[in-house]
Amino acid sequence: MAVRALVAVLSAGALLATAACGGSAPSGAAGAAAGRDEGPVKIGALHPVSGAFAVDGQQMRRGAELAVEQLNRNGGVAGRPVELITGDTQGKAEIGQSEAQRLIAEGAAGLVGTYQSAVSTNVAVVAERNKVPFVMDVTASDAIFTHGYRYSFRVQPGSTAIASAAAKYLKEVSARTGKEVRKVAFLHEQTDFGRGAAEGFTAAAAKLGIEVGPDISYDATTVSDLTAQLTQVKAAGADVLAVAGYYSDSLLVSRALASVKPDLDAVWGVSNGAYDQPKFVTDAGPGAELYFNTNYHYDATKPETVALREEYQRRYGAPMRTGAVLAYDAVQVIAQAVDRSGSTDPERVRDTISAQEVEPLTVGNGPISFDGKGDNRNAVPVLTQVQGGAIKQVYPPEIAESEPDYTVMWR
Amino acid sequence: MTTLSPQRKRLDAGMLKRGGVLAALVVLAIALALLQSGSALVVWQSVVTGILTGGLYGLIAMGLTLIFGVLDIVNFAHGALLAVAMFLAFGVVQTTGLHPYLALVASVPVLFLIGAAVHRGLLSGSGGGSLENQLLITLGLSLLLENGLLLFFGAEPRSVKLPGEIQIPLFGAVVAGSRLYAFAGAILLGALLYWLLRRTRLGTAIRAVAANGPGAELVGINVRRLHTLTFAIGTACAGAAAVLAAPLISITPTLGAQFNITAFVVVVLGGMGNVVGALVGGLLIGLVEQLTTIFLNGQSSLLGVFVVFVLVLFLRPQGLFGRRA
Repeated sequence: MAVRALVAVLSAGALLATAACGGSAPSGAAGAAAGRDEGPVKIGALHPVSGAFAVDGQQMRRGAELAVEQLNRNGGVAGRPVELITGDTQGKAEIGQSEAQRLIAEGAAGLVGTYQSAVSTNVAVVAERNKVPFVMDVTASDAIFTHGYRYSFRVQPGSTAIASAAAKYLKEVSARTGKEVRKVAFLHEQTDFGRGAAEGFTAAAAKLGIEVGPDISYDATTVSDLTAQLTQVKAAGADVLAVAGYYSDSLLVSRALASVKPDLDAVWGVSNGAYDQPKFVTDAGPGAELYFNTNYHYDATKPETVALREEYQRRYGAPMRTGAVLAYDAVQVIAQAVDRSGSTDPERVRDTISAQEVEPLTVGNGPISFDGKGDNRNAVPVLTQVQGGAIKQVYPPEIAESEPDYTVMWR
Repeated sequence: MTTLSPQRKRLDAGMLKRGGVLAALVVLAIALALLQSGSALVVWQSVVTGILTGGLYGLIAMGLTLIFGVLDIVNFAHGALLAVAMFLAFGVVQTTGLHPYLALVASVPVLFLIGAAVHRGLLSGSGGGSLENQLLITLGLSLLLENGLLLFFGAEPRSVKLPGEIQIPLFGAVVAGSRLYAFAGAILLGALLYWLLRRTRLGTAIRAVAANGPGAELVGINVRRLHTLTFAIGTACAGAAAVLAAPLISITPTLGAQFNITAFVVVVLGGMGNVVGALVGGLLIGLVEQLTTIFLNGQSSLLGVFVVFVLVLFLRPQGLFGRRA
């Protein structure tokens, strides 16, 4: 009796848990022109400010707010003040979709967001249908740009770009030290994010003559120990361990590394969610020292970025993350397009965005400028390293704050 | 093995036989894993890690199984209560700078009181009522607790560091000290609960209520109070588990979900209400999880866990160490 009841209850619980993931159809294109031509220029910001991703979501909304304040201090755009209208995606795709619909109905000249690829995918559809530009700040997935959308743009480098850069930087940095990399073990979480990073890295590494193996994946939602996986890495005799994971699981990797101590030359994050965060350094302690990460990053060498980070720290009492800077840049993209076209007509704003160049605070190989698909052609991933308890940009050399240190602490 | 039934249990041949079959299956799985991976070190580390994380699962499942065995309540809030206890432990360590394990002094009594309050306030009215009521109440409570934690502490993951963490070599494998302490804690807590249930008057009363509530009422046991007490003890177990597990994982408001399903599988596997069964079930699930990652790289380790779960439900629905209802 009891077992049957428990099984029924468990499956009911599972149903309840998955019910939240169902999608819902958007309610059709709502008033596109609602008061766009008078009053303040409205820019919509969609981020997960509640739910499991709230920490990053709040960072990004604040980044967008700081951008709008700065614009207004400088007299607004096209002679009008700027207003940020905000939506909370709660980290859920269907809520992001309905919030996007609402912000467009309220007269947003353009949208920025959203942190998660799944949410951005849905918002891109709404933006396309309503013909309103959508400038993604953080969104790793490259799949969004395969549909030929006209209104979708992205500031950060995509997942393939990051993974390829990670392989290229590894080859170059290891060659400079004389301990040239031959074999990389890849450890990643098993959803699209981790698998995409591993596949992109493996393809790029193969062209550079680097062997990738073993390829080990884990379930980030349930994993509580990775010692056995790192023993596998140790037994395989890899030179370097590449890790693509979220924050908590990547922290577990560092704990397991400290106990297994495999014979590596470097730990190499690929779009890693932990190894370029100041918090990782405090949580992992000395074990975090000298970890590399290839990821999107704010340009720590620019005085404007330094000033923005200081202001953020002062106002919110927390270090500013790259997500906030990307949101800042995404708002600039829309604001400057409105300013240059002198209009909030979405079609003209879109055309201006696709043709203009905007000076970024995020690292790039030049200004933010979009290719035919809407991807930022000058976005460049950066190699960071934990050095002396701080996150330092170490590669490419043009933007390096310090030299890469190709050793590990436990040897 | 202790079940909550009051009559004395002979060490029957069936139990020994099942234990033997189980051990043989585990050895077979390890041998196959050895063939699959080709590295004795990798398999050995997996076995060690499996047993140690299994202890953690058993630790978390013990309170759950006690509550289920006596009160017939499927407590979906167990994971969320675990999260509350972890934040409590984190807070104590953060503000007082005490050794993380000393947070037990706060977390066990506080969780005991929370458990008592939850049972008195929310659940005692539905005692013996429909299962759906309890499901909705405990599920609602878990949502409330999770979002409350989110509101007050934010989603930022936190960690409790164990001062002077050591690494113990074990025939080529390595074991983090904190993991070994958690494992030892699981065994200690299992023994303590066993002793409580088998050797004390309170335990006898609890087992009596579990076996026959109305009968126990007739001989003068206050069933309602005993139910509250049992729920509180079960919740206090989550408080102990939280402190022992805190140095091993990142503390987030939603961490309960990570352990809830596993803990339920462990409870069913061990036989519902069977405290020692929960520990053995935990070890088994830990092993299965680790061996699954050797056999099926790229798949969720829960896959193997659920295969075992379904097989057990199919072949022995009362659990490995439970008795036929």
